[in-house]
Amino acid sequence: MGSAILALGHHLPSGVDCAGVRRPIAVEAVGPSTLAARAATSALERAQLTPERVDFIIFATMTPDVTFPGSGCFLQQQLGCGTVGAVDVRAQCTGFLLGLSIADASVRTHTHRHVLVAGAEVHSAGLDYSGGAEIAGLFGDAAGVALIGPATGPGGIRGTVLHMDGRAYDRFWCEFPASRQHPVRLTMENFRQGKHFPVIDFEAVRRFGNESLQAAMRAVLQSTNTPIAQVDCFIISHVLPDVSESAVQSLGIPSSRVNIPALQHGHLTAAALPVALSEQIASGQLGPGATVCLAAAGAGLSWGAAVVTL
Amino acid sequence: MRHSRILGVGRHLPERVVTNAVLGTMMDTTDEWIQQRTGIRMRRYSDDGVGAADMGADAAQQALRAAGLAAGDLDCIIFATLSPDVDMPASACLLQHRLGIGGMPAFDVRNQCSGFIYGLAIADMFIKAGTCEHVLVVGAEVHSTGIDLTTRGREVAVIFGDGAGAVVLGPEPDERRGILSTHLHAEGRFAEKLWLECPSTRLRPRVTEELITGDEARIFPKMDGRYVFRHAVTRFPEVIREALDANGLALTDLSLLIPHQANLRISQMVAQALELAEDQVFNNIDRYGNTTAASIPIALSEALDAGRIHDGAVVCLASFGAGFTWASALMRW
Repeated sequence: MGSAILALGHHLPSGVDCAGVRRPIAVEAVGPSTLAARAATSALERAQLTPERVDFIIFATMTPDVTFPGSGCFLQQQLGCGTVGAVDVRAQCTGFLLGLSIADASVRTHTHRHVLVAGAEVHSAGLDYSGGAEIAGLFGDAAGVALIGPATGPGGIRGTVLHMDGRAYDRFWCEFPASRQHPVRLTMENFRQGKHFPVIDFEAVRRFGNESLQAAMRAVLQSTNTPIAQVDCFIISHVLPDVSESAVQSLGIPSSRVNIPALQHGHLTAAALPVALSEQIASGQLGPGATVCLAAAGAGLSWGAAVVTL
Repeated sequence: MRHSRILGVGRHLPERVVTNAVLGTMMDTTDEWIQQRTGIRMRRYSDDGVGAADMGADAAQQALRAAGLAAGDLDCIIFATLSPDVDMPASACLLQHRLGIGGMPAFDVRNQCSGFIYGLAIADMFIKAGTCEHVLVVGAEVHSTGIDLTTRGREVAVIFGDGAGAVVLGPEPDERRGILSTHLHAEGRFAEKLWLECPSTRLRPRVTEELITGDEARIFPKMDGRYVFRHAVTRFPEVIREALDANGLALTDLSLLIPHQANLRISQMVAQALELAEDQVFNNIDRYGNTTAASIPIALSEALDAGRIHDGAVVCLASFGAGFTWASALMRW
């Protein structure tokens, strides 16, 4: 028995001007679990399921509410899901695709029946807005949640491909707090030097994105026997929107069937794909039977793609 | 449906031994006080520049050797930690870097004391579903750089130690063997009973000078010890019984229980509540302290070396900790 996305929900804070660009920013002091709870509530309403029917929660983020425990625990509490398991995963920009893959395996092995996969970020709490827009202006805050369950019709999660190459881990990273630093993970010196802010080697990340996004999409389309013509929408996430655009061109995908969430919202990392998919369903652009290819590449360095029929 | 099973196990403990007496020179505490409440005599601390992934890489290489596999044979890497090497990306990425491999998916599981069992459960699902063939699950922690080693932080600081453990899993065609079941739980309403708040994206910004240096120093973990203890001695027996019941097994069928090494007094109360014989429970907290996500694979590795796990043995791994989260995995060796 396969698995399927039963419903989606998203929450985008309203736009705020930051570092000269308009981005969704959580101005109220809440973490990603609070944004995810709003998105999950919408997803559950659309699926006509109560929170008690959820039996596993997967939370993908790189900006957790607190250092520990995981944001999944806070989401579980806010939704009222009893004592079901809640796991936080860290796979940066491919976190949501990883969550989908775990949920798919969980449902297919009958380990769980209804799995919530949340991708949620509050980047605005960790960016250096004093240093201009080069990095701070790239990111936004948001949450997207997918409810995964047993497939009942022809639709379903048709396939995922996931990759990581940690040999380039410091091309897109945030070093501190760093547990490997003795005697303390974050010193005042680290802090004053701004080492707790993310750093991006744009040239390396661009080159990597150009290679990996199209490779991931080709691989997943091939493994699921899906011709490009059968895909109703490609949702592609990379910190640099023009890298997603060049992947579209190299595969010869008509731009009318492409959604690059970073163009509109800034980069939402783990939240980008479920937010964009949920938005397109909510606006009526995609409905039951539509086939979607999701792809992402970014920090780690990570890359991956999935083909899903709604 | 095929099962998964553990093909190889490894561990890494840093060389630097920190006895209770040494802690007594840093804070107002004594060997007697620590032993009486926790059963801990000593713990290990890593050296500067050595992170969870560095120790995890050594444990992983041992596990791979024991499994007769090369690092390149892995098709997934799962890294459980609450003390990652760097803030971002995941320690799993740094582990790949250390092992000189790339391409296969690699990610962190951040589930505190239950992180290893949650990671094991995901590996089990991936292998059962046919998504993966060989999965590495690492549990590794460097606590020593994140605890308050002054009298102010003594209640938490004396408990934790550094270390790493790793297992390699592969397919098991016989449905009566390998991992028989996993049970995962969480109860987020108790998140603040054992937590490390900052950096926190609930704050704007997530970290400030005041948070680092203030009287509260919210960059160190906080614990309501009695509260955690009370829940642990309830949830541990519950989740162990849940595992046995799901497989139609009794407590007398259990060859070995490997509880997360939270506190020797908790393990003793759990064993007593379940009426387990002394040789049915494995403990090593006296030498390593609480190593969170690393404690179960380290203990599993030592139990195997000590000949405590024979072919066909029924082994239960169980955990309880921050989140709260609790979990069990039952396997036939």
